[in-house]
Amino acid sequence: MARNCIVVNLDRCTGCYGCEVACKMENGVALGERWSKVLAVGPVGEYPHMTRYALPTLCQQCENAPCVSVCPTGASYRDDKTNVVLVDKEKCIGCKYCMMACPYGVRSWNKSEQCVEKCTLCGHLTSQDKLPACVKSCAAGARFYGDLDDPSSDVSKELAKYEAGDIHTLQDVGNAPATHYIMTSMIGEWQDRVETKGHPHTAAYPVAE
Amino acid sequence: MEIQWSLVLFTALSGAGAWLVACAGIDAFRGLAKKAAFPAIVAGIALIVVGGIASATHLSHVDRIMAVLAHPAPGIFLEALLLGIDVLVALVLLLLIKRNASAAAQKALGAVAVAMAVVFSFSCGSSYMMASQLAWNTVALPLGYLGGAMASGAALWYLLCAICKEGSDALSFAAVETVVGAVVALVTVLAFGFMADVIGGQSAVLFWVGVVVCGALVPLACGFAGMKRTSGALSLSLVAVIGAFIGSIAFRVLMWTASVAVMSLFGVSI
Repeated sequence: MARNCIVVNLDRCTGCYGCEVACKMENGVALGERWSKVLAVGPVGEYPHMTRYALPTLCQQCENAPCVSVCPTGASYRDDKTNVVLVDKEKCIGCKYCMMACPYGVRSWNKSEQCVEKCTLCGHLTSQDKLPACVKSCAAGARFYGDLDDPSSDVSKELAKYEAGDIHTLQDVGNAPATHYIMTSMIGEWQDRVETKGHPHTAAYPVAE
Repeated sequence: MEIQWSLVLFTALSGAGAWLVACAGIDAFRGLAKKAAFPAIVAGIALIVVGGIASATHLSHVDRIMAVLAHPAPGIFLEALLLGIDVLVALVLLLLIKRNASAAAQKALGAVAVAMAVVFSFSCGSSYMMASQLAWNTVALPLGYLGGAMASGAALWYLLCAICKEGSDALSFAAVETVVGAVVALVTVLAFGFMADVIGGQSAVLFWVGVVVCGALVPLACGFAGMKRTSGALSLSLVAVIGAFIGSIAFRVLMWTASVAVMSLFGVSI
């Protein structure tokens, strides 16, 4: 079974928000909602050992996706062919249980359709051998799409260039996120959590106090 | 996270209803409160059903609710299933009491009603145990749901016994049940408070005044006073019911306001 996902090379990412805009344009995401969002992490640390980087986020395509297991109607499901986590809006009853269960809060509420929606990894494009809009539009060439289980895929080839210590995921609470981030010491130190207190000018990760 | 009032009312009302039926079930073993058993079960069924309807009001597409049957999973499906079973158990118990069925049959259904109250009120809280919510991911949460439902259901039973002018033995035993419910509520909500770290800060007033004092200490004091004297049972039980329900609702409100997501990358929550 394929493990299609996005890999982001943060060494290359410039934080231009192009992926956010491309996603909204391609998928018609409503004003105020996002399926893809770029966060600014940091700055943290003491000069000159400081870290600040852009963190593009989206559905992490978790292997043990809690949004799928809690959905009472099967509206949140994993596609048999692509293994991508999707939402069947025709089945969604709007209980928002999946929004509570997502460890990353990356699901959106569609006010006009009164149902939950999220990143589809641009299935309408990838099914035609095209790249997701966020990958295609990335001006820095920092985003990759493909199957983690296929050594010849773009994601596998990009990950293979780096040491294990340079490859990261968002905090895993048993959901096993498939999306990977590459960040070397050139950029700084990967932050699992960033305290926003005392750093009012940063968006950082919104974290538990 | 935004307070989901539909869900607050669902578990507070349905849980209390299930425990009201359970108290009538316990009476099948004691045989003390024959007048109160019938109205208690009817009221219990009404509370369970009204709670179930309240839960449906938070859905944006109720018309698709039958899809739940096609995807049996913990959470909403389990709650709906247990709610239906509990109503069925209550209806059978009601029928047995109405027809003066054998004591053995009434005791058997009474025991099932108690078991269902435990399972149902616990499962309503266990649905919220998820790794993504740091404050919710503790078994103390469903135990708190169980405790609050037990306190309010037992207090309601005490009130109905007082309204139906049951004998002193029945009133004293109903007061004992109220004490037991309140003690369980006290222990479980304190456990949740400490484990979820909601005993201080902005949650302090809601937790200590709403949940602990109103939800546990008030019914505990009323039940304790009612154990010793049966005069004034109506007033005592009414205060116990009001306190227990305030506590039950405050606990559920606290759960929503104390929600802490592992991450909220998009800054949105329900």
